[in-house]
Amino acid sequence: MRISERKLSAFFKKHHTIFVSVALALYSLHLALTYQKDVPRGYIVRETLSVMVTPVERLILAVRGGAVGAWSRYVFLVGLTDENAELQRRILELQDENNRLKEEAASGRRLKDIFEYADAAPFNATAASVTAYGAGLWSRTVTINKGAAAGMDKDLAVITSSGVVGRVIEAGTRSSTVLLATDVRSAIDVFVERSRTKGVVEGNGEDGLILKYIRLDDDVSVGDRILTSGIAGVFPKGLVVGEVVRIEKSKDNFFKYIEVRPAANLATVEDVIVVTDTGFHSND
Amino acid sequence: MKEIIIFFPIALLYAALKGTLFASIPLPDVPLLMVFYAAYRRPSVEGVLLAFVLGYMEDVLGGGIIGSASFALIAVFLAAHLLAKKVQFSTRGTRAGGAFAAVLIKGALVYTVIRLSNLTAHILTDVLIQAVVTAVFAPAILTLTARLALRLAPAPWKGDAS
Repeated sequence: MRISERKLSAFFKKHHTIFVSVALALYSLHLALTYQKDVPRGYIVRETLSVMVTPVERLILAVRGGAVGAWSRYVFLVGLTDENAELQRRILELQDENNRLKEEAASGRRLKDIFEYADAAPFNATAASVTAYGAGLWSRTVTINKGAAAGMDKDLAVITSSGVVGRVIEAGTRSSTVLLATDVRSAIDVFVERSRTKGVVEGNGEDGLILKYIRLDDDVSVGDRILTSGIAGVFPKGLVVGEVVRIEKSKDNFFKYIEVRPAANLATVEDVIVVTDTGFHSND
Repeated sequence: MKEIIIFFPIALLYAALKGTLFASIPLPDVPLLMVFYAAYRRPSVEGVLLAFVLGYMEDVLGGGIIGSASFALIAVFLAAHLLAKKVQFSTRGTRAGGAFAAVLIKGALVYTVIRLSNLTAHILTDVLIQAVVTAVFAPAILTLTARLALRLAPAPWKGDAS
């Protein structure tokens, strides 16, 4: 008995890395396969990582802004003669100021659009800025600069004045993760504006959307606008999701395969509106 | 242990850069290369924990399915660890090839987890691009990682003579 115990112990010692690997791999798989269950997971880790990474991301963005300005000034200054140095410097200052004003004007226009839209919308909303884009190859997410402290919560709708962006999937204290409509986990109840045909828009995992559950005899054409139906309760009814760009017969010969281009440019979105009202339920 | 711990802030910095400056540029999968390095140079429980932590971090920061990347990285660790008994990852070619295969293994496993979750994914091209970029940069990154680890842990690791 002792010999076999010793053998077992020696066997475990010899292969303990493999045993630990298999155990942790199975635990990870368990986490992944039970992910969709409504259990908050990794909150402390998420908060800790958020606290560590968000300041670095902000610093990087600030340094990038400064470096771009300094580099452009440096490039223009190289090779100038003494005679026109002062004039060139003045030109640079004016160019710099002009660029800054242009950027401020653009930013102002974006914010004006956002605030006008938020003010006119028949629901309560708050503006937020994107601070980082999801680094995962398999997911489409962005991080915004508002969290639970600013009233963010899971499943709040995120939009722009152009259309739907996605929904909040994790609300940290000072930042939140938004699942973009193009992520494969996203599903939005919609209808076709022209024919009122109902369906579900899902992300294709890249930069597009797929309109599902539209039967072959349903009336949908290229160019049709797709709007939120308000049925699931996350998005208010009537928000623009996108436009139909391609229709094919699907392999099952029952539904159409329809590609939709998102109305909002999700790859470069900078400022968003978070709808803080919940429980939109259309009776249509 | 400390050479493993130093990988953590590097991975955090990598995640911050990837989420901001290089959001639309394919970067080499640095966390995967760290795990690959730990597997063939230091196959220990610390290496497994590193794979789990880096994978979990990738899932959390990338907004992915929690557990998918950690599962894939541990599998990559295990595969590289077992393969290292047969193959010496001591030349540029074997390191690049190993990194290329590791990205493909990781991609295939994450894809499998997504499919098991009843979701659809069609990003084979992205995985291939990531594999090529990672393979190109792998020899340089692995050499840097080895130098960094050597500074922190002067005791020679497996294959340090190469």
